[in-house]
Amino acid sequence: MSTSRTMALSYLDEVKLLRSPRRDPWRWAALVAAVVLYLWIPTYFGDPGLRIMAMCGIFAIGAIGLNLLTGYTGQISLGHAFFVGVGAYTAAYFGGERGWPLPAYLALATLIGFTVGAVIGPFALRLRGNYLVVVTLGLVFLGEHLWNNWDSVTGGGNGISLSQAPMTLGPLDFKEGIELGGEAYTFEQSFFWLTWALVAVTALLAVNLTRSRPGRAMQAIRDRDLSAEVIGVNLARYKVGAFAWSSAYAALAGSLYGLLQQYVSPGEFSLFLAINYVAMIIIGGLGTIVGSILGAVFVWGGRSVIEQNSSIGLFDRLITNGVGEPGWFTIGEANAILFGLAIVLFLLFEPRGLAALWFRVKTWFLTWPFSY
Amino acid sequence: MTVLAALALLVSACGGGRDDDDASDKADKGGNGGAPASGPGFDGKTIKLGVITPTSGRVAVIGEPLTNGNKAYWDYVNKELKGVGGKYKVELVIEDSAYDAPTAVQKYNQIKGDVVMFNQLLGTPIVNALLEQLTADNIVAQPASLDSFWVREQNLLPLGAPYQIQAINGIDWWVTEGGGSEQKKICTLRQDDPYGEAGQAGVDFALDKLGMTLADEATFPVGNPDFTAQITQLQGKGCELVWLTSTPTDTGSALAKAAELGFAPQWMGQSPTWIGAFVDSPLMPYLQKNFIWVSEGPEYGDTSAPGMKELLRIQDTYAPDQVPDIYYNFGYLESKAVHQVLEAAVKNGDLSREGIVEAMNSIDEIDFGDVFGTYGWGKPDDRDPPRANSIFKPNPDKPIGLELVVAEHEAPFAKDFEFSSD
Repeated sequence: MSTSRTMALSYLDEVKLLRSPRRDPWRWAALVAAVVLYLWIPTYFGDPGLRIMAMCGIFAIGAIGLNLLTGYTGQISLGHAFFVGVGAYTAAYFGGERGWPLPAYLALATLIGFTVGAVIGPFALRLRGNYLVVVTLGLVFLGEHLWNNWDSVTGGGNGISLSQAPMTLGPLDFKEGIELGGEAYTFEQSFFWLTWALVAVTALLAVNLTRSRPGRAMQAIRDRDLSAEVIGVNLARYKVGAFAWSSAYAALAGSLYGLLQQYVSPGEFSLFLAINYVAMIIIGGLGTIVGSILGAVFVWGGRSVIEQNSSIGLFDRLITNGVGEPGWFTIGEANAILFGLAIVLFLLFEPRGLAALWFRVKTWFLTWPFSY
Repeated sequence: MTVLAALALLVSACGGGRDDDDASDKADKGGNGGAPASGPGFDGKTIKLGVITPTSGRVAVIGEPLTNGNKAYWDYVNKELKGVGGKYKVELVIEDSAYDAPTAVQKYNQIKGDVVMFNQLLGTPIVNALLEQLTADNIVAQPASLDSFWVREQNLLPLGAPYQIQAINGIDWWVTEGGGSEQKKICTLRQDDPYGEAGQAGVDFALDKLGMTLADEATFPVGNPDFTAQITQLQGKGCELVWLTSTPTDTGSALAKAAELGFAPQWMGQSPTWIGAFVDSPLMPYLQKNFIWVSEGPEYGDTSAPGMKELLRIQDTYAPDQVPDIYYNFGYLESKAVHQVLEAAVKNGDLSREGIVEAMNSIDEIDFGDVFGTYGWGKPDDRDPPRANSIFKPNPDKPIGLELVVAEHEAPFAKDFEFSSD
């Protein structure tokens, strides 16, 4: 394996997303595998499984957003759930109540998320670390109050339905299930394709953002904001920008969440959701885009895998259904314990998350037979 | 690019052909009176019912006894009655919602193809989140909350007098018989959500009918860590009766704070404010002095009600480890209501989703053996929930810590409360 294959010879080489398959086989292999999975999964798995995977995709979009803010810019936020709520309610109101078309309310939700993020962003200019955490935490509670009491828009405590929200994009009707080449697909199949297409687009956007000038500025701020400012990074612009982009991602995730659930109510955008997002990027890998996706799949999909296999071997002895069956804890409790354990173990042994495992495997193969 | 094109071809060749689960929905309907045809949740021998309930998280203390009640009743039906219609055994498919709407929606979609109907959906937010889908799928579910919104829903099978009625009867009883008068100051302390609003609506209705006005209203979010603000607010207004709409954890925190601050009005709580564990808590002396609980039916263990006798026997036989618990009773009654619907459906020979709805609409009333009031049934617009409530006071010597004060008090204007159809 000669070095010229992996070495960038010019700046253009450096910024190319994909070089020829011969020079960059790993990326190509991953890309082909992703496309195959994307097309094949909905034809193989049943609707309930696809629903879980679509939810993973929705979480992935939100997690990418949080990673831009926390992983890349170093601004720790517990307010992500609030921005997810902003997106969900925007979609519910403009899609469900007003009957706007799908692209319009998705775009508006993203835009409103962006704007609200930009408004919140300036707080990060004056606050750092723990203080910022507290302020963003406040947002979650502010949001809960707003969702509960702004009845004309959010439906108050009873929530708001999206069952009337149009879900057509040109000839494709995601609600009734799309039809392609004479084949009719179900809602879950269609929604899986919609969500993961958006994951691909948003991930690409995030990758490009992070490896260009704004991305380098963000990372400089993360490492030490004072030194970043000294070398000429405009703190106001990039901190506020990171908040705005991160919130836009969260809002997009929220609007898709509303569409999948067909109903949103105030309790769903709680501190617990915010913590889930933080867990996803910690487990997936801070400061990596692929890690955000892996983390989302691990956290949301992992629960379901455990649940479906709860009757196997030793597990069966430990788990009770809560009603009469012998066992130590219910499946939900077991999941909560494993989830907490996963965060602790990742922080202790693999602080760079699932993404680091992937990089390590890749490096091992690339440098084979040498281990350095 | 060629690779992609080839892949697309490959996928379209094998794709899309996946058979839909819903195909089984179209199972032939059995003839009237004949054996029901198999369909989703029914294989010709066993009827499967869904239960989506929290078995983990902070609401599991309610979910577990409820489900235990669901199960004990069906164990009794399966063993002693040889199943529904003497033939068909009933099995529960239990899924953990963790009291979280997205999880519940996911679980609903996972099992909806495997069940005839839902024996229990716990929690107003969860029923709300699923209502559209239940209607679209035409599946009947039992909501484990006494919300008045459920009364006119085509696909819901609620039981008991709704929260509004509890508040109406409770306030009326206190003002006319319970030591209060029309000159006293009545206030509310309630959750900042639909459950709290239901209680508030009942209090407002009763006060209006009694020609009184509300002295003060304090609200709090679920799981409120500190009630100092609310309690001092109510104390400052000189409230003499406080109507409480909360769940047990918040009841404990609110009343502990009141005791600490020396605020001792008459408290009256809706049915979900109480939990048997209060009996062993240091708060019990304060509760005995100041708390009244409003619910339905006879005192626990009073076997003069035929349904109570049966309930106790079934609990002793099929759930011997269950301590006496109001939520267990509710779960038991849920199954009893579902049983009546299933019997009608089996009699019609149709256990399909449409068959269940049809059977449900054809029932005139749902009977709970006087443990809960009889629910006037029929088509959604004809449904008429019970309008009477019983008043209890805490007593540590009683099985669930509650002693009956007055049975089945019905305010003269309780009948006037209308349940809207949306």
